[in-house]
Amino acid sequence: MSAFTLTRVDAALLCCAAPLLSFLILGLTPALRRTGRIAGYVSIAFAGLSTLYAASLLQGRMFAAASPPDIGQVGWLYAGGKLVASMGVQVDGISASMLVVVTVVALCVQVFSLGYLHDEPPAALGRYYTWHSLFLFSMLGLVVAPNALQLFLCWELVGLASYLLIGFYFKKPSAGQAAVKAFWVTKFADIGLGAGLLVLYVFTGTFDWSPQAVQLLGATGAAWTAGLFFLAVMGKSAQFPLHIWLPDAMEGPTPVSALLHAATMVAAGVYLIVRTYPIFQAAPGVLVFMTFLGAWTALFASIIACSQNDIKKVLAYSTAAQLGYMVSALGAGELWPGYFHLVTHAAFKALLFLGAGALIHAVHSNNLQDMGGLWPKLKISGTAFIIGAMALAGVPGFAGFFSKDAILDVLLERHLFAPWIALLAAAGLTAFYMTRVVMLALFGKPGHHTEHAHESPPSMLAPLVLLAIAALTLGFAGTSLATAAGHEYAFHLSTSGLIASSLALLGIGVGWLAYGKNAFVPGKIPAFAFVQGIVESSAVDRSFAWSYRVVFQGVSGGVAWFDRYIIDGFMNFSAWLTQMAGERLRAAQTGRVVDYLYAVVAGLLLLAAAGFWR
Amino acid sequence: MPTQAYLLLSAALFCLGIYGVLTRRNAIGVLVAIELMANAVNINLVAFSRVWGSLTGQAFTLFSLALTVSEVVVGLAIVILLYRAHQSVLTDSASEMKG
Amino acid sequence: MAAQIAFGLIAACMLSAGLLAVTSKNLVHSVLWLAVSLVATAALYVTLSAPFLAAMQIMLYTGGVITLMLFGVMLTDHRHDVGVLNASTRRLPGILAAGAVFGVLASAMLGVGMPAAPAQFDSSTAKLGALLFADHLVAFEALSVLLLAAMLGAIVLARRHDA
Repeated sequence: MSAFTLTRVDAALLCCAAPLLSFLILGLTPALRRTGRIAGYVSIAFAGLSTLYAASLLQGRMFAAASPPDIGQVGWLYAGGKLVASMGVQVDGISASMLVVVTVVALCVQVFSLGYLHDEPPAALGRYYTWHSLFLFSMLGLVVAPNALQLFLCWELVGLASYLLIGFYFKKPSAGQAAVKAFWVTKFADIGLGAGLLVLYVFTGTFDWSPQAVQLLGATGAAWTAGLFFLAVMGKSAQFPLHIWLPDAMEGPTPVSALLHAATMVAAGVYLIVRTYPIFQAAPGVLVFMTFLGAWTALFASIIACSQNDIKKVLAYSTAAQLGYMVSALGAGELWPGYFHLVTHAAFKALLFLGAGALIHAVHSNNLQDMGGLWPKLKISGTAFIIGAMALAGVPGFAGFFSKDAILDVLLERHLFAPWIALLAAAGLTAFYMTRVVMLALFGKPGHHTEHAHESPPSMLAPLVLLAIAALTLGFAGTSLATAAGHEYAFHLSTSGLIASSLALLGIGVGWLAYGKNAFVPGKIPAFAFVQGIVESSAVDRSFAWSYRVVFQGVSGGVAWFDRYIIDGFMNFSAWLTQMAGERLRAAQTGRVVDYLYAVVAGLLLLAAAGFWR
Repeated sequence: MPTQAYLLLSAALFCLGIYGVLTRRNAIGVLVAIELMANAVNINLVAFSRVWGSLTGQAFTLFSLALTVSEVVVGLAIVILLYRAHQSVLTDSASEMKG
Repeated sequence: MAAQIAFGLIAACMLSAGLLAVTSKNLVHSVLWLAVSLVATAALYVTLSAPFLAAMQIMLYTGGVITLMLFGVMLTDHRHDVGVLNASTRRLPGILAAGAVFGVLASAMLGVGMPAAPAQFDSSTAKLGALLFADHLVAFEALSVLLLAAMLGAIVLARRHDA
């Protein structure tokens, strides 16, 4: 070991390089790719290697307070001899822990997919793993990015991988449409990131987020940059009203939903805020907006999740809601609770999706009504799913409890009461709808597919077990993560924590009464019926249609108008001008030789005149 | 004789050629005028050859003569083509290039 | 004195013939007046110690060009009628333009001092030949190619394609 020591920069580079290598190998050798399972083994092997390198970064020193980041980069873009942007890696507590989260979840998902997709034709499976490697490389590149330009590049690559994986079942028209919609909505939001980069560059001359750059930005520049960045975050992290692509993205294979649309890719938006947090902190207006929008998204999505019958849609809305928690917490002006929730959420939401995948695999249906009574047949998967549900619900002792508590605590501390109440309500609702899912899927009267259900193969169970352990224990990582973000944190039971866990237990109790004991039918209770009536009426659909119409068609229409009348108008005007000039000037071309000869003589005389008056 | 006399003579001949080129409508008439202009140029060359005491001017004049002859040959061929196309050698009849 | 008289006569002859060449209403006359002007130019060449050029001028122009032009006249629409239409049009603009050019050229020439011609000038044909075939050999050969090209071009252009 003494002959060969790996610096942290090297480890981070190798961590990113492994999936890239895997992508290139699979991408460039169709013969290997079409073997399907072997391609999967290649991808998993490289993902495992990547995970090892990431894990080697988890040293105590990384999480020491105020330890400067390790940066290794090479000059990339030069303008006028001046270095404008570099490419490389920035390794600190945040990126190191995020690397571990991404690689572990990706590894789990890739192993899980071996079992989940075993019926797929080999060529499709090879394609699947190729895109997975591309996604992993892009996501890791995003995580370690030392400047905003590299982050943007990887951000777009991640969006591409998301598009490809949502459209994995591309023979299904709805999958194709969902892929296009996801790509389109996030791309629309990405305009914000591109424009924000331009603002950043105009103000600072770099794409860095260093304190000097923030100083150069000033209040105006920071407000513009942060505001534009947040537009991109709203798209990628599914914040209202740009969340509309996330439920549709569930058309992709369930492991893809677990990796991209629950644990990592959608968290990239939040991660962008975390990375560029100095800029956001210099823009208080944007922070306030974030707090309220995040809280609203959390409440709104939690309400909708209560009435969904597709197990994946429930989880999708829940993901939007949990991302709302993170955004809201970051808006409150404190970095680490949001990031902490990102990490724990990645673990338990991936667990929930993979657990849901195991249930779907057993009954070949997404619908909760087709499940029911699965518990006796799926003890291990069922247990894992319940652990995930409890972590999400915020049952004390589980990971979600700690991070959610930290978020609520910060909001209360900053006297942001409205978001605080909204998030508390969302916490209660979360517990309620997760109980509903568990009761409907695992207990209750058996659905008509239940008798053929069977436990998943080991390749699917192992990731579930690993993630279940993470969901149980990650709550204790809060202290380290807080320190890495430069903050002292020791867990103590706060007021918010008490209220939130009481509400969670209340939600579980109500859910159990309603769907476990069938003590009452929620639809018969006036208040609940009212809310559910709103949700189940076309109001929600109409609100989606509204946001689609107003936000997209409005903005796109504006852009189209600009393109048609300003850009095209300018072109048409110059064309018209040229044509008119031509019409006038053609009279000069008489076609008579003599007139041309006169022109020659006139030219001669002009030249002579110029010579005389020189 | 002063050198200017030759030059002025040449200029006068050249301008007669210009007048012809500008006023003639018959293509062969235009060619006649062009020959006058070419001739005026040759006079200049020979006159300067004499003034500077160098034979190179005369050699150039020989080249110029040959070029003029080629030009007349091709020009007359074009006139014949023009006649074939329009049954006329008036330059006004060729106005296909009108814009 | 004799030189001045010779120059005056030659110049008068050349210019009046040139004027008639560009104003005559008959195209054949016009071509013949051109011939007169060109012969006068040959005479001028003799006074400028260029006898070889004078010979060439007569052979090439009056022998070649004038004959060609007369053929051109005959091959076009006037072959039955010698009184060919060759009227001048728009005379005033032509006079103004030509006069303006003459003004420019004359003022330029008179405004510059010119050395007088030396009394002696050895311009034997042998020296001219040596110059042409030694110093300017490549140009000379290129010229012969050009003449060939002109000949071929004229044949191709004037050829009847339906024949």
